[in-house]
Amino acid sequence: MEILWAVLILLGIGLLLGLGLAIAAKVLHVKEDERIDEVAKRLPNYNCGSCGYAGCKGLAEAIVTGKEENLRKCKPGKEDANFKPIIEYLDQHPNEDGTKVKVHL
Amino acid sequence: MNILISFLLAILSSMLIDNVVLSRFYGICPFLGVSRKVKSSLGMGVAVVFVIVLATVICWPLYNFVLVPAGIPFMDTVAYILVIASLVQLVGLFIKKYSPSLYKSLGIYLPLITTNCAVLGVAQGNTDQGLNFLSSLANGIGTSVGFLLIIVVFSCIRVRLESSNVPKAFKGLPIALIVAAIMAIAFMGLQGLFSGIQL
Repeated sequence: MEILWAVLILLGIGLLLGLGLAIAAKVLHVKEDERIDEVAKRLPNYNCGSCGYAGCKGLAEAIVTGKEENLRKCKPGKEDANFKPIIEYLDQHPNEDGTKVKVHL
Repeated sequence: MNILISFLLAILSSMLIDNVVLSRFYGICPFLGVSRKVKSSLGMGVAVVFVIVLATVICWPLYNFVLVPAGIPFMDTVAYILVIASLVQLVGLFIKKYSPSLYKSLGIYLPLITTNCAVLGVAQGNTDQGLNFLSSLANGIGTSVGFLLIIVVFSCIRVRLESSNVPKAFKGLPIALIVAAIMAIAFMGLQGLFSGIQL
């Protein structure tokens, strides 16, 4: 009986806290450039840090905001698997003012 | 004694005399990890104050009004960790929204507040010692502000250490650990200032 209560109560607490967090995530949502996530998806996602940024998300952000133009900074990335899809994606999705994100190999 | 005065004294007592970092070695990980810059240590300290005070306010009623009546006080650690983890998530979201630069400089140490043993130590200690709500609150506030005070003071010292002429073997973390030890000895001087405050 004790175990049943333990499970039920913890389940209840978890549910309440989860609900609270879901609401907080909605309220405190930060609007991010969706291209950052798309570029990060096309990177190897090893999060090795050899590019000098904090993880693949960091490099993706630098690429999209124009701070980093050289894709070769990503050491484990392969040309066919990673770099070409990124160049193609950024080619199709220019900045809001119409200019293209500058990247090269 | 007036209840307000004893409340303030209880805060001072757990803040200075029983300082968690220096006398019980809780929360050493962020203490050494985030104290390189004054600004990030201040951010870390404030985040920890927020988490500890809220965790105390939530965990005490949770234990006494839910876990004990249901006959499952042995689940306390698990329930506390659940509460603490969600609070840390909340703080993370909040900082990410309002101070992206602080979010970057805290880095991995922000989610690691969950595993900062000072937080669980306070919540667990309050209920284990059978403190009442007011004493628990005083303990929570005192402990967390004590952590904030120590980490900021420590980071001020470390900034100066960076530019001072330290023997090569002691550069970086070793001299920081020695400074922490000297601070612990200095705070021992406050022992016996006042004790046994009842709320």
